[in-house]
Amino acid sequence: MQTTVLQRMDNTARRFVPFGVTLMLMLFAMTPTYIPGLSHITPMYALMAVYFWSIYRPDLLGYGATFSIGILEDLLSGTPLGSGALILLLCQRVVFSQQKFFNNKPFGIIWLAFALVAAGAGLLRWICVGLVASSGFTPPGQMLTSYLMTVAMYPIIGGLLARAHMKLLAQP
Amino acid sequence: MRLPTGQISRFGNLKSLLQRFAFLALIGLTFALMLIGKADTILVERARDAVADAVTPVLRVMSEPASVISDFVNNLHELAAIREENAKLREENARLLQWQSAAQKLESENKSLRSLTSLVPEPNATFVTARVVADTGGAFAQSILITAGQTSGVRKGQVVLTGEGLVGRVMQAGQLSARVLLITDINSRIPVLVGEAGNRAILAGDNSLRPRLLFLGNKNAAAPGDKVVTSGDAEAFPPGLPIGQVARVDEGAVEVEPFVVRDKVQHVRVADYGLTGILTQQPAK
Repeated sequence: MQTTVLQRMDNTARRFVPFGVTLMLMLFAMTPTYIPGLSHITPMYALMAVYFWSIYRPDLLGYGATFSIGILEDLLSGTPLGSGALILLLCQRVVFSQQKFFNNKPFGIIWLAFALVAAGAGLLRWICVGLVASSGFTPPGQMLTSYLMTVAMYPIIGGLLARAHMKLLAQP
Repeated sequence: MRLPTGQISRFGNLKSLLQRFAFLALIGLTFALMLIGKADTILVERARDAVADAVTPVLRVMSEPASVISDFVNNLHELAAIREENAKLREENARLLQWQSAAQKLESENKSLRSLTSLVPEPNATFVTARVVADTGGAFAQSILITAGQTSGVRKGQVVLTGEGLVGRVMQAGQLSARVLLITDINSRIPVLVGEAGNRAILAGDNSLRPRLLFLGNKNAAAPGDKVVTSGDAEAFPPGLPIGQVARVDEGAVEVEPFVVRDKVQHVRVADYGLTGILTQQPAK
């Protein structure tokens, strides 16, 4: 069957959903919430999105897209350029290499694996920023709280991403 | 047309090979960027300015809902306490009127004394008001993005305030946006005076909610409740700006609770005192 121009545009737009959603989450992490005490321990939203799409739609979020989101995050948030991109890329690489493991696993296992991946990512980012930034290592306490927030928020963000996945990228 | 299976697997192999190459190339690039960021800070700063300018309008729209909800909740709180508040304000008003007359008397006295001593007047500050659209960095850096940049007269090194006190200073100024380094950031060092005795110290951020006092002569020089204000040393800040009060005096550290509650800040004022502080690269023209 011949696809119309409109259909093709629609398909192309849908292919950008993972990138778009990850980008929005990264920006969302920066918008002020006006909730006392929260801005110090913002969860790593972009990491959640990269992890999710790398498991479920590895075809639609490639290394290039992940890299550009990481660089944009570094440029905007004033963290050493490249440190955010590095951990997002490594997270994606880990998930890609364990594709068989993630296949059809229940949510609990996916969450547990995320806790591990996020721990590695958080630790690596902390070391990276500590080595590159002129101010040296930041106190590890906040990194730990931010990590716990990230793990705690994953079910909510993962649920939202799963909805977006089913609604917009449902396979016929 | 259907491809023979051999051809498919060969395509698959090629694809995974390309993917692996892309991954390695991008990892290499991140390391290269980290080095460039360390070596050529001006280039990276320009890139940061450009990106912040481009994204600020998006962030402004995104921060709108949270801002509206926060205002709504505040309104509800205020409505609930309106009678109490009113009584308190009346009382305060009566007290302030007394202060006003005292201030007027002092002002005229001050004027006449100044005419006697030929004092050089302090430069008047000009202010730009801006909205906070992003609170960035999380555990690694404490900075905010605001909606005013060089086109509004904001320059690197200028002082950022709210009604309560000092927020920080401008770290980078793009055309339409600027990044403000908060007093709680690990890179923030501010010369301050502590308490009524005016003991000199340096207020140093460590990315936690409460910055610490360094180089305070001895630990007894500060007690909980002491006010901390800028000292004006090093020409980075004008003297006397309120920052916070001493919250805890410990064996190793003196913690300061800032007056500005960072999470509540929606608007800030950027003040130009005409100072050529240590953050500016070229002296102001």
